[in-house]
Amino acid sequence: MKRTLGVTALACAGLLAATACSGSDSGGGSSSGPVTVTVMTWESAETNAAIKKALADFKDDNITVQLLDTPSGQYGDKLASLTQAKKLPDLFWCGNDTEQQYTSQGLLVDWADKIKDGNGDFKSDNFVSSAMDNWKTADGQMGGLPSLMNTYGVWYNADAFTAAGLPLPKAGWTWDEMYADAAKLANKNGAKYGLVADQLTSGDGPFTMSMYAVSAGGAPFTDNVNHPTKAEADDKYKEGVEKLVAAIKNGSVAPPGYDASNVQSLFAAGKVPMTFGGQWLAAGFQTDKPKIKYGFAPFPQVQTPTTLYDSVGICTPQYTKDQDATFKVLEYLNTKVWDAVLPASPVAPPAYKPAQASYFDALTKAQQTTVADTVKADLAAEKTVGVRFTTQWAQQVGDLTTANYQPILSGKKPISDLPAYIDKINGLIKQGG
Amino acid sequence: MSRNAGSDVKAAYLFIAPAMLGFFVFVGYPLVRSFYLALTKYNGLTDPVFVGLGNFRRLFTTDPAFWPALRATGYLVVLYVPLSLILGLALAMFCNQRFAGVRVVRTLAYLPVVLPAVATITLWKFMLDPQVGLLNTILDRLGLPTSLWLQGSGTSMPSVVLVMLWGVGGTMIIFLAALQSVPTELYEAARVDGASPWSVFFRITLPMISPIVLLQVILQTTAALQTFNQPKILTNGGPGFSTNVLMLSIYNNGFPTLGRIPQLGYASAQVWVLFVIIIAVIALTAKFSSLWTYSDTSD
Repeated sequence: MKRTLGVTALACAGLLAATACSGSDSGGGSSSGPVTVTVMTWESAETNAAIKKALADFKDDNITVQLLDTPSGQYGDKLASLTQAKKLPDLFWCGNDTEQQYTSQGLLVDWADKIKDGNGDFKSDNFVSSAMDNWKTADGQMGGLPSLMNTYGVWYNADAFTAAGLPLPKAGWTWDEMYADAAKLANKNGAKYGLVADQLTSGDGPFTMSMYAVSAGGAPFTDNVNHPTKAEADDKYKEGVEKLVAAIKNGSVAPPGYDASNVQSLFAAGKVPMTFGGQWLAAGFQTDKPKIKYGFAPFPQVQTPTTLYDSVGICTPQYTKDQDATFKVLEYLNTKVWDAVLPASPVAPPAYKPAQASYFDALTKAQQTTVADTVKADLAAEKTVGVRFTTQWAQQVGDLTTANYQPILSGKKPISDLPAYIDKINGLIKQGG
Repeated sequence: MSRNAGSDVKAAYLFIAPAMLGFFVFVGYPLVRSFYLALTKYNGLTDPVFVGLGNFRRLFTTDPAFWPALRATGYLVVLYVPLSLILGLALAMFCNQRFAGVRVVRTLAYLPVVLPAVATITLWKFMLDPQVGLLNTILDRLGLPTSLWLQGSGTSMPSVVLVMLWGVGGTMIIFLAALQSVPTELYEAARVDGASPWSVFFRITLPMISPIVLLQVILQTTAALQTFNQPKILTNGGPGFSTNVLMLSIYNNGFPTLGRIPQLGYASAQVWVLFVIIIAVIALTAKFSSLWTYSDTSD
């Protein structure tokens, strides 16, 4: 009996040791033998199929690329569990905030030196500069590389504008014009609100409002979303908030709490005449043709064209087995894969500028000219502001926004409470660093 | 103790060993571990850092979401528990009658309990949409005022409770069993004495099923304190903090949206606050139960 137990214990210990050794947390570096580089994305099944097809053309005798199947809807949960189990794939799609937070925790490999001078054309100079700046941590590390840019603007129902006798939104239109249009479009043809602007009324709303202040010559809500030293709401900012509060009060703009989860389908059905949104909606509209004639315009301005900047990218865990092989696949993803993927599904312009042509060609072919023009205008915008804090205490700022800023927008708290809200955020900045 | 009794005890321990092992592994250890984590700053990625009562201090003093979460949870309990009991009992009394098709009615009343919760809650979300939802469409066609339902700060929690009441069949079935255990002689005697239906209800039915009412109060209160599915799917805690109940707040801190680092230590502190609240509520309910529950002490 004792002998049996001993053998079983030894077998278990052996199995455990084997399991532990087979993990991928053996540290970075490079190996001489064949390597499998795993890739995980949050894309749809169709886009993943296109990526897989494009990756099949990656030629390196020592490297096999494996695209992991991930249900796009549960990407966040999948990522969280893989992170905690220390089983992240070698390359995984990540947001700017994920990259910043994971890098600061020492979880990601630092590509800063590798991309600084780069291989041939694959170097930092060839990326959209605002994206590269934003992907660097305070100490200059880059836990990943930006892959696609997210640009934002206003989607409008051209039919509703024409029916109401309003000129179509275009570059250079003003915030006052936008609110006036929203007032005229509200409560018409099944549309309750003239404008649904989740970006202005959600937890990220205070950052979006920076566009008004900066465009009017004022200061943004925060000086830096990655490493903020202060938050502020100057007179121009306050003016922007006052105008939004008035528009919400008179029913032109959907208030905080409006469920924007199905706004895309409501817009396509003609029940939302104007909505803030990203360029990625164009890919969906290309396949599920909306019943309406629509367009995409840059954000309104006060004086200077100002827009939001945001980019998503590809990150690599610090424990990736072969950093050199992983970087080769990363380079291939950024430089070659988009040419194969974006024509069928033009979701976003690549952050690597030489790869942008296929995106704009696809939009032009699909006659989405207003989208192409607005994305180009956004990428060239004179002034840009960040979409949200990427700090670890960003969630606490979100809670303060729900408790203080959103009630101001709803008219439940006076605008004079704005400084108190800003003080609380500055308290967090001081505390969180 | 006889030799046989000793081996019986050993056998008993052997029989309960798997259950006890399961308890210690899946309840005992997580309980102790979560208490330890509640005293640390822990994100699940790096080692926990001991902060003593720092998480609890933050909860009660600086967290703008905690007190609204407590308020929302309290509001939900106060609104849901009495309504579910009254509705469950009323349904049970109706289904306790003898009429043609009573079995069909009982099945229909219980059906929502066996349907997949996420699917039915999602359907309710569509129906409660203020712009294109079925409820507002009907109200509008009837010329009645519509509501913002889940999207109004004043109507969001009542709407969540409305969806929760959809599953009241579970309460009904237990009440139905209790009603059927009341001796019929008591009703016959009351009928002979000419007692009114209200009198029968308050003097016979309610006292006789009061132990089950107590059980239901405890079960429904603890369930309401731990409500998660409905607010998560219907409103995700909004608008504002109006439906951001404690369980949802714990979830959002422990498993935040993509890109945010989890605050597992802080979420554990919230779990312990909820645990203490549940224990306190059960203890208080049990303590005062003798004032209103009937127990047969006769031999």
